Amino acid sequence: MTQVQVDTPAVLREHAEQAYADELAALAAVDDRPRPPSWRLSPWAVATYVLGGRLADGTVITPKYLGQRRLVEVAISSLATDRALLLLGVPGTAKTWLGEHLAAAVSGSSTLVVQGTAGTQEEALRYGWNYARLLAEGPSREALVPGPVMRAMETGAIARVEELTRIPSDVQDALISILSEKTLPIPELDEEVQARPGFNVIATANNRDKGVNELSSALRRRFNTVVLPLPDTLDQEVEIVRTRVTQLGASLELPADLESLSEIQRVVTVMRELRSGVTTDQRTTIKSPSATLSTAEAISVMTNGLALAAHFGDGVVRADDVAAGLLGAVVKDPVQDRLVWQEYLETVVRNRKEWNDLYRACRDLG
Amino acid sequence: MPVDVYGVRHHGPGSARSVREALEARPPDLLLVEGCPELDGIVHLLGEPDMVPPVAGLVYAVDDPRRATFYPLAHFSPEWVAVRWALARGVPVRFLDLPATHAFALEEAGAPPTREAGDPLATLAAAAGYDDAERWWEDAVEQRHDSPAERFDAIREAMASVREADPRPDDDPGVVGNLRREAWMRKVLRAAVKEQPDARTAVVCGAWHAPALVPEEFPPLSHDRPLVTGLPRTKVAAAWTPWTSARLSYASGYGAGVTAPGWYQHLFDHLSGERPDQRDLATTWLVRVARTLREERLDASTAAVVEAARLAETLSIVRGRPSVGLTELDDAAQSVLCEGSRLPLDLVHSRLVVGEELGSVPDSAPVVPLAADLARQQRSLRLKPSASVQEVDLDLRRPAQLDRSVLLHRLAILGVPWGVPADTGRTTGTFKESWRLEWRPELAVDLVEAGVWGTTVAAAASARAADRAEGSADLAELAGLVGACLTADLPDGVTAVLAALDARAAVQHDVPALLHTVEPLARTCRYGDVRGVDTARVRDVLVATAVRACVGLPMACAGLDEESADVMGTAIDGAQRGLALLEDADLDATWHLALERLSAPEHVAGTVAGRATRILLDAGRLARDDVARRMGRRLSVAAPAPQAAAWLEGFLAGDAVLLVHDPALLGLVDRWLSDVEDAVFEDLLPLVRRTFADFSKAERRTIGERVSRLHGGRADDPAPSLDLDLEQATPAVLAVGRLLGWEVARGGAA
Repeated sequence: MTQVQVDTPAVLREHAEQAYADELAALAAVDDRPRPPSWRLSPWAVATYVLGGRLADGTVITPKYLGQRRLVEVAISSLATDRALLLLGVPGTAKTWLGEHLAAAVSGSSTLVVQGTAGTQEEALRYGWNYARLLAEGPSREALVPGPVMRAMETGAIARVEELTRIPSDVQDALISILSEKTLPIPELDEEVQARPGFNVIATANNRDKGVNELSSALRRRFNTVVLPLPDTLDQEVEIVRTRVTQLGASLELPADLESLSEIQRVVTVMRELRSGVTTDQRTTIKSPSATLSTAEAISVMTNGLALAAHFGDGVVRADDVAAGLLGAVVKDPVQDRLVWQEYLETVVRNRKEWNDLYRACRDLG
Repeated sequence: MPVDVYGVRHHGPGSARSVREALEARPPDLLLVEGCPELDGIVHLLGEPDMVPPVAGLVYAVDDPRRATFYPLAHFSPEWVAVRWALARGVPVRFLDLPATHAFALEEAGAPPTREAGDPLATLAAAAGYDDAERWWEDAVEQRHDSPAERFDAIREAMASVREADPRPDDDPGVVGNLRREAWMRKVLRAAVKEQPDARTAVVCGAWHAPALVPEEFPPLSHDRPLVTGLPRTKVAAAWTPWTSARLSYASGYGAGVTAPGWYQHLFDHLSGERPDQRDLATTWLVRVARTLREERLDASTAAVVEAARLAETLSIVRGRPSVGLTELDDAAQSVLCEGSRLPLDLVHSRLVVGEELGSVPDSAPVVPLAADLARQQRSLRLKPSASVQEVDLDLRRPAQLDRSVLLHRLAILGVPWGVPADTGRTTGTFKESWRLEWRPELAVDLVEAGVWGTTVAAAASARAADRAEGSADLAELAGLVGACLTADLPDGVTAVLAALDARAAVQHDVPALLHTVEPLARTCRYGDVRGVDTARVRDVLVATAVRACVGLPMACAGLDEESADVMGTAIDGAQRGLALLEDADLDATWHLALERLSAPEHVAGTVAGRATRILLDAGRLARDDVARRMGRRLSVAAPAPQAAAWLEGFLAGDAVLLVHDPALLGLVDRWLSDVEDAVFEDLLPLVRRTFADFSKAERRTIGERVSRLHGGRADDPAPSLDLDLEQATPAVLAVGRLLGWEVARGGAA
């Protein structure tokens, strides 16, 4: 079981390196293995930080990523070989989460991040200018405002690029020279920034909306790709949801009874069945809705239910509290998905005796 | 009397290299290899140039070829390396295991088979944190000890500890069987030493047995003697058979198989070379992976291979492994060469990691039991192979002829097409079969290749069918395979194929595919009885599949284009033919309900809706009035004309009788065609022509006459009058009369 954080932090969401500062310190203390240049921890310690474990001095490291060990090992090894890392997966497979923790463990900072959007400009990947100074003093190093990637190059840290495929292709390509030559020219000053050892990039991309701005093969070639899967087993996924809901509940100060989270099992089962198109017993084939129904959505349904139960109920999460969230998560397309959901309710949920309350709660919502 | 005991890992390339070095260092005068001594008589064949691994030594009970043990040998097997070494130098080779004649007789008497249990060296490797036992051997055995003798001493000591920690009780059948085998091995060893006290003897055996075969530590003779005397006997024979890389992974006489023969071959080839370099090992492997990917037209640049090699190396460091193993190489290849996707890597796996090699044996090798079994059946069924073509008619109601049919069907499944089904001719009965038999020399080769599947025709055909079912995702093919297994009387095969069919059908969304399985399965149920087959299980699967198809049918038929509508129409027809054979009231009710949901709504494609309406009409589930109403709606002006034509085509589908005898329906069709606008009519003409072209000339003429009478206002005229021109018909009538042997006279028949 994962520990519950009792003390409430001062900010709504702490950075990974703040939230787990004690674990990182404990790891650094016992870590006597060779570290790549500029790395705060050895690859082994980074793996332990991400996957959890118990250290020689008795410190328990909580697992940050519950999933296949080999994927995390491949990811860390990629960073150690100075090849950039591309984390690929459908929404809600902990890509950003894993990237943030890797950056925190490797360079002690997860804040050098570029959020990829359709409007991301080249300045975000390279540098911008402080126009007041530029006009007053002309181009100089002081007037230059380095972007996160440039700062990471200068300090030998890990930069993160979120949602790489949402960035317009011409802006994406600015990364090519940074990744292959590890230099960033500043033609205005006739200078260049050469990356220090330890610099690397972790990019995340969504393979559900592939084709938004497909990566060029030149860029793709510079990444090692790790595809993060949806959790393999029901138990694993329940465990992930339980851990995250508990943490979120604590940080939102929701006074809910944590023992009553048995509802998680049902929510995760519903999500998994609809996602895979077949019931858990493999007997009945069902249709899948257009929604991704990732673990992240199960977490948000549960947190929502927790809030409902805490503020408007008696603190125990019941079928009524999660029904609305489930409906919202499943039905993204009002026509097709509603049919799918209705069919699922009538053919699967209804036939499970112990799910009677959930069936009625969902029926009442229409 | 020096005896060198080399405890090896079966199929271990590392062991193979060490054995070769050891033999070079201390050449023996006699080589004893683990394996039953029945192979002694044919061991010399291993030295022939035509003998290409993978091959397997096969020892089987003559009266019951299903009782058999295989000893597979690959290029990298220590046994292969040792035997080839000895044969090349004229050193005698013998096998020292418990003879199969006793082992099989003991098994027959109820003792469990005494095969090797697992892979003890893999257990040691796993304990040391390795998932690849060969890499462990490389690091823990090869790298640490320079002389091969030291390596084998170390292995023997390690095995002695493993044996002490064996958790099995003393009376465990596996332990008892093992004790007996080792007692026999010691017996052979003692005899060899006694025969030539001064000769040096080398023993190549599984590592597990090594501690028990050191002469200095032999237990007293009295301990062994009761175990190896007075054993029962049975008649056995031995042969060499070609093997495949894929089948090296099966458990056999040499313990558990290996899962990555291709990788082992690479290890063996690479490390057997001059001054092998560990680093090159990973690089050369990744180069081969890249080349395989390129053959599949996937990009894999040289730069990417370099990056993959670096990643694999870093991975092995992160994982705390002393060297790069297959897992690291796989992970690196997936991440760098395959862009994170597992699919291309699976391709690499089947082609490179497992390999697609097929061995061969010299012509002089004794026949495999499968061939022996076939020869015996050919004799007892009096069905001689002959190079000339023979036509054979079989009446399946007679047991002897049924047996022949079964044999031919089994051979067909096995891929030995001795007989080809021929046209049965005039009869439509299901109890008769015709075959064209021709024994071509290639069939002997096919038979030898089929030997990997089993030792009897029945067992091999079952295994082959099960394998095909495993690899097939096509429901129609699986359904056909069920039928084939039933006609070949292979209950094991049927069970395996049905299980596969059931599993595939459960996840199948493609309704036409589901429908296509109905007919072959129904045929099997209906006519399987002739062959005395139990069809209850088939029926279960059939009902489940049919119900699934019925549930999905209405949804699957919405919004079909013309082409898919045709496919669906054909599928529905097939299912209808199948269900008509079964006459299952419940199933028919479900089926008709599903068809009703196709027939009534307007949005279903014309062909499909027309077909559904017709089936319901024929089944008496729709009244004529209803049909007329539906046809009227479908053929009304508002409906798009091509859809209407398609509906008509589906509804009539090559059968004109309905139009001939139902003036109401004919009237509807007529009115629809006459009311269509000229421009549309031109588009429509080919479609309508297609429908009517299927009818016979006479039918077309009758329809034409009816239509003309519709317009003449005599629609309810019961029958057309026969306005025959007797003058013109006379010669034809006379000719027919002559043929039938009748007397024909003008003015009346004879």
